[in-house]
Amino acid sequence: METNILHTHKDLVEKSKSGDRNSQYQLYELYVDAMYNVSMRMIGIKEDAEDIIQDSFVEAFRNLKSFRYESTFGSWLKRIVINKSINHLKLKKIPITPLDNHEYHISEEKISEPVKKINIDKIKKGIAQLPDGYRQIINLYLIEGYDHIEISEILKISVSTSKSQYHRAKKKLIQTINTL
Amino acid sequence: MDDFEKYIKENKHQFDEYKGDKAKLWQYIDSELQTDEVRPRKPKTIRLWRSPLLKIAASIVIIIGIFSSAGLFLTSEIGINPSNDIVNQELKDIDNYYKGLVSFQVQLVKNNTKLLPEDKEEFLSFIDELDEEYLLLKEEMGTNLNNEYILEAIVNNYKKRIELIENLLEQINDSKKSEDNEGYIL
Repeated sequence: METNILHTHKDLVEKSKSGDRNSQYQLYELYVDAMYNVSMRMIGIKEDAEDIIQDSFVEAFRNLKSFRYESTFGSWLKRIVINKSINHLKLKKIPITPLDNHEYHISEEKISEPVKKINIDKIKKGIAQLPDGYRQIINLYLIEGYDHIEISEILKISVSTSKSQYHRAKKKLIQTINTL
Repeated sequence: MDDFEKYIKENKHQFDEYKGDKAKLWQYIDSELQTDEVRPRKPKTIRLWRSPLLKIAASIVIIIGIFSSAGLFLTSEIGINPSNDIVNQELKDIDNYYKGLVSFQVQLVKNNTKLLPEDKEEFLSFIDELDEEYLLLKEEMGTNLNNEYILEAIVNNYKKRIELIENLLEQINDSKKSEDNEGYIL
């Protein structure tokens, strides 16, 4: 199934590479919602997220020739969206990682507090209430599904910083959810 | 990975709660990509030197440049440019030095009593020849000072004269010595 999806996309990607607007639109249709959500989760402002999406698709189609199927088209595109979103946050001077540095908290901290009752809506609210830096790393790790190595590349931090920040963020998130 | 993380990862599609205005967004993307097709995004670099016509034009400009700057240089030689005055002065000094040296040695030869008149004549004719050549070169230098070859030729001309004189003096001295030696033998 997975390879099948990859294959159909390959056809679309190849046609898009040669500038076929119809194929480009089909790719856009396939990915715009997911990408819009990625950007919205990162930035949280509708207009800004829309700008990011527009720029990302334009850039993706312009640079499609450099896409060599080393990953799926979706993850390639998502990386463009993530990078643009991060740059946008940087430009707006919104901290992408918490200011306090916890380089020394490398060991996996046990989350002492268990989540009382897991509920998606509560989690969404909890994430929304997190400080900007914590929200980014929770989004990247739990929802976007990047590992710490990838996050360290995206945020330009060390892998251990990514791990420690994530654990702090998760602790904070659980605390927040439990107070809801 | 704990239950909390697992729960989120399993339900992450539920976090896709936003809906964008697809048509509006596409409109922008489409228009951006269309401008790319009309006008290439990257400003096209026009390599001027690739065009043969411009090559010729550039060559002409360079040639005109060379001639006009050469002309400027030559006209300034006549004594407008102070930095050229220094060069002129230096050349004059060198010229005077050699001139003095040559005339002094010519005088020595002329005054020498031990030389046969024919030898003197021959020597002086050589010197005259070189003098003529020197005058020619000097004239040439007036119109074409920048030419290294002419300067070199002038210096060589002087050197040759000095060499000639030195050779002659050596001969005189040799004959003197041989006479002296004869004296000792006797």
